[in-house]
Amino acid sequence: MTDQTPETPEPFDEAEYRRRQRSRANLMAVLLIGLALLFFFITIAKMTILK
Amino acid sequence: MAQSLTHGDLALPADWRDLFALTKPRVMSLVVFTALCGLLAAPGTVHPVLAFSSILAIALGAGASGALNQWYEAGLDAKMKRTAGRPLPAGRLDPQTALQFGVGLAAFSIFLMYFASNWQAALLLLVSILFYVFVYTIWLKPRTPQNIVIGGAAGAFPPLIGWLAATGSFAPLPVLLFLLIFLWTPPHFWALALFMKSDYAAAGIPMMPVVAGEKSTRRQILFYALIMAAAAIAPWPLGYTGTLYGWTAVILSALFVLLSVQVGTRTTREGDAMKPEKRLFAFSIAYLFILFGAVVADHWWPL
Repeated sequence: MTDQTPETPEPFDEAEYRRRQRSRANLMAVLLIGLALLFFFITIAKMTILK
Repeated sequence: MAQSLTHGDLALPADWRDLFALTKPRVMSLVVFTALCGLLAAPGTVHPVLAFSSILAIALGAGASGALNQWYEAGLDAKMKRTAGRPLPAGRLDPQTALQFGVGLAAFSIFLMYFASNWQAALLLLVSILFYVFVYTIWLKPRTPQNIVIGGAAGAFPPLIGWLAATGSFAPLPVLLFLLIFLWTPPHFWALALFMKSDYAAAGIPMMPVVAGEKSTRRQILFYALIMAAAAIAPWPLGYTGTLYGWTAVILSALFVLLSVQVGTRTTREGDAMKPEKRLFAFSIAYLFILFGAVVADHWWPL
């Protein structure tokens, strides 16, 4: 950690901002697809049990 | 160098690795394993998709508890070497994000459990999350050296939840497994607290070695190890498990007690390497993993 004072804020790293935004968006897409599949398979499994 | 969180009004989005670290993945592995064993040791069979979903719900519930614990204890974590590098005390994550993540994850885990299994398991999952956050983290931990004795119940719920997810009802075996983790928690955590005493003292957490002293803690480790050993072996003579589990429990519990005797009867000087305490702590983790594995093995492949 640097000893910067509030008067000299750390330079804003736009590349880091975009990288984090992109990685979170990608992860969210994967999670949502995963959840959709999971809920689909849970429904099928419950229907199988009921039969 | 720590990454600055804000620049004017623009805040950096949290890195997913920091959100993942918030869930205490290492603690979660033991929770998932004991829950899975509870589910697999239950009578009957569970559809693999429903079993997977139930275990996932328990894992997410444990992750939510960990996140809410870290959100509440960020100030304390900053004072301890062991925890100062966590996302919140290190300044890589803002508290609001951590709180929203924890609450959202908890709500989703309960919904998933209800959808995949039954309301009984969902209710117990909710109780375990609330117990860990409100009873252990907020109420007991900063107030009493008995924090991990009573709070240990939160970590003992997973096999019960796993069993409930499979059957929808309680039975003596999962209650005994609950009791085993409950009694295992004090010697496990007090062994850690003995070699992390200065850290806990610096943070002002009233852990047993800080409040009651090392001698008393060592005596209590031995006491709990003895009753834990009895609880671990009990399912065998009571007829809830077979020979495979029985002998595994006897041998491992004897080793546990032996290591606890070493810890319980020694005195240390300044600068002691605390090797017996570290050995007991490491062994206690393996002990629980192997014992729960034996419960499942005994159910599926009895001798």
